Amino acid sequence: MNPKSSFSDKSLDASTGFLKRTHERARRWLARAWRTLHFAALILSLAFSPATYSRDNRAAIATQIVGGMWPNLLWFTVLCALISLVLIRIVVVTALSYGLSKYALEMVVRVLVLELIPLTAAAFVALRCTLPDGVELAEMRARGDLTAFRREGIDPVRREALPRVMAGVFSVLTLVAVSCITSLVLAYLSIYGFTPWGIAGYNRVVGQVFSPAVSMILLLKTVFFSLAVSLIPMASSLYDEANMSMQSRSKAARELASMVRLFSVILLIEVASLMGNYY
Amino acid sequence: MNEPSNPIPETAPTPPLQSPAPPLPNVQIKAAMLLVLMLVLVGGSVIYLMYARGAFESTQKLVLVADDSEGVVVGMDLTFSGFPIGRVSRIALSPTGNVHMTVDVAQADAHWLRSSSIFTLERGLVGNTRLRAYSGILTDPLLQGGATRNLLVGDASAEIPHLVAAAKELIQNLKTLTAADSSLDASLSNVKILTEKLSGRNGALGALLGDEKNAQKLILALDQANSLLAKVDNLAAKADTQVFGPGGLMKDTQATIVQLNGLLLEARASLKKVDAVLVEAQAVGANARAGTADLGALRADIETSLRKVDHLVNEINRKWPFRHDAELKLP
Repeated sequence: MNPKSSFSDKSLDASTGFLKRTHERARRWLARAWRTLHFAALILSLAFSPATYSRDNRAAIATQIVGGMWPNLLWFTVLCALISLVLIRIVVVTALSYGLSKYALEMVVRVLVLELIPLTAAAFVALRCTLPDGVELAEMRARGDLTAFRREGIDPVRREALPRVMAGVFSVLTLVAVSCITSLVLAYLSIYGFTPWGIAGYNRVVGQVFSPAVSMILLLKTVFFSLAVSLIPMASSLYDEANMSMQSRSKAARELASMVRLFSVILLIEVASLMGNYY
Repeated sequence: MNEPSNPIPETAPTPPLQSPAPPLPNVQIKAAMLLVLMLVLVGGSVIYLMYARGAFESTQKLVLVADDSEGVVVGMDLTFSGFPIGRVSRIALSPTGNVHMTVDVAQADAHWLRSSSIFTLERGLVGNTRLRAYSGILTDPLLQGGATRNLLVGDASAEIPHLVAAAKELIQNLKTLTAADSSLDASLSNVKILTEKLSGRNGALGALLGDEKNAQKLILALDQANSLLAKVDNLAAKADTQVFGPGGLMKDTQATIVQLNGLLLEARASLKKVDAVLVEAQAVGANARAGTADLGALRADIETSLRKVDHLVNEINRKWPFRHDAELKLP
């Protein structure tokens, strides 16, 4: 056997194997992306369907919303207020030391309200609420609860997935709104103190920062964050294939993979919003 | 791959359904409260932002015209005495190539703008561009809505090229001034030579006269002048003795003055006599004046007498037989 031809055969095999693996990975990635998009469309269509809001489903949705938001609202608001206070103080003192105190408020509003708080709220809801919900759903699916629902004539997506997605969406929106308002109030108090005479100037600066384009980008970013945070963990838990190697993975590895996927999407949305705001 | 719309694998075992978690008390009311809170917060934020952007305040338009809109953005403030009174709502290029900036001025603050107000666009080296309004005479009529005004542009950065050019010129001049073969260098060398001469043996004299021989001559001349002065001093002492000493010129002069005094007294007496003569002459003059008055009457009498004589002669001539005819007969 010619050693030269044997070497070339081996390298051909290696490159074929690499191409096959790449193809397989790409196929899986595309399939997962498609499934997630399909799930998003399914959930949105269910959310706008009146049949979803039957008595039992309403109770399930209410339970998920209260269970997801109620414990997080106070804690997140307090935590966010503390972090905001520290950041506001740092920005104001730094701006003052450079003699740029008139730009401090604008910077605080841009850094905190436009960038940090939506991102933090989305990450907080993902870690505290939707990722555990996804794991719970995956466990229900593994136990066969969802199949049992189907057998009893109950749509498991409508009964179990949709309430968790809605809870995630509303949690993100509410936490963002509460934290942004808290930060704006804290920024005013930190810069002007307990006096009403700075309100006119403060309103003007806030009005200048929130131009229609910036407001629209903030709104879209928050909505996309909430959708990503709520849909991706649920989609991952519902659509992981039985014959995939994921099945052999541990529970922790599966959660981690879902989390990485989720944060990649959040990062993409953040980058897009930054480009929209500053380019 | 499973069908997306049917995500639940049928291969899973089918144990009995687990009992769901016990429902939270008043869960639907709490959920409704949370949703209402969210809606109120979002709606309130939207309304606040609209208010902060001036959506609810009545405004009047002001169009500012400038050559260049660099640094001006929509939403920028127009300030009066540091207080924002309006916002730039639109920036457009006119057909003539100028920039038209439409500013929405709040009606509540519009009274600060008068027909004589001026508007400036200031670009600093650091920080934002600023639009400012100045009203010098607040008693002038109010600025009408939709008024168009030219914008005065003050650009600090535009001065930089001029400044750099001037500085360059200055540095070039300095360079020329301080060059090795420059006039300043030559002057400084001369000053150096001068100071060397000043600190030399003959000092300032040597520096002034240039040559040591001349300086020696001058010193010699000074010495001679000194001896001359001593002689003059001696001479003056002698003159003093001659003039003011005993039997000197001064004593004779005093005697002469006494004699002159006597002469003057005599002259005064003579003048008094002349005065008396003049008084008499005045009296003569007065008499002569009276005489001349009488002469007038006498003259009148003589004239009358002469007329009478003339008349008489005429009468005699008329009556005289040899009177010849004075008539001329033409041929």
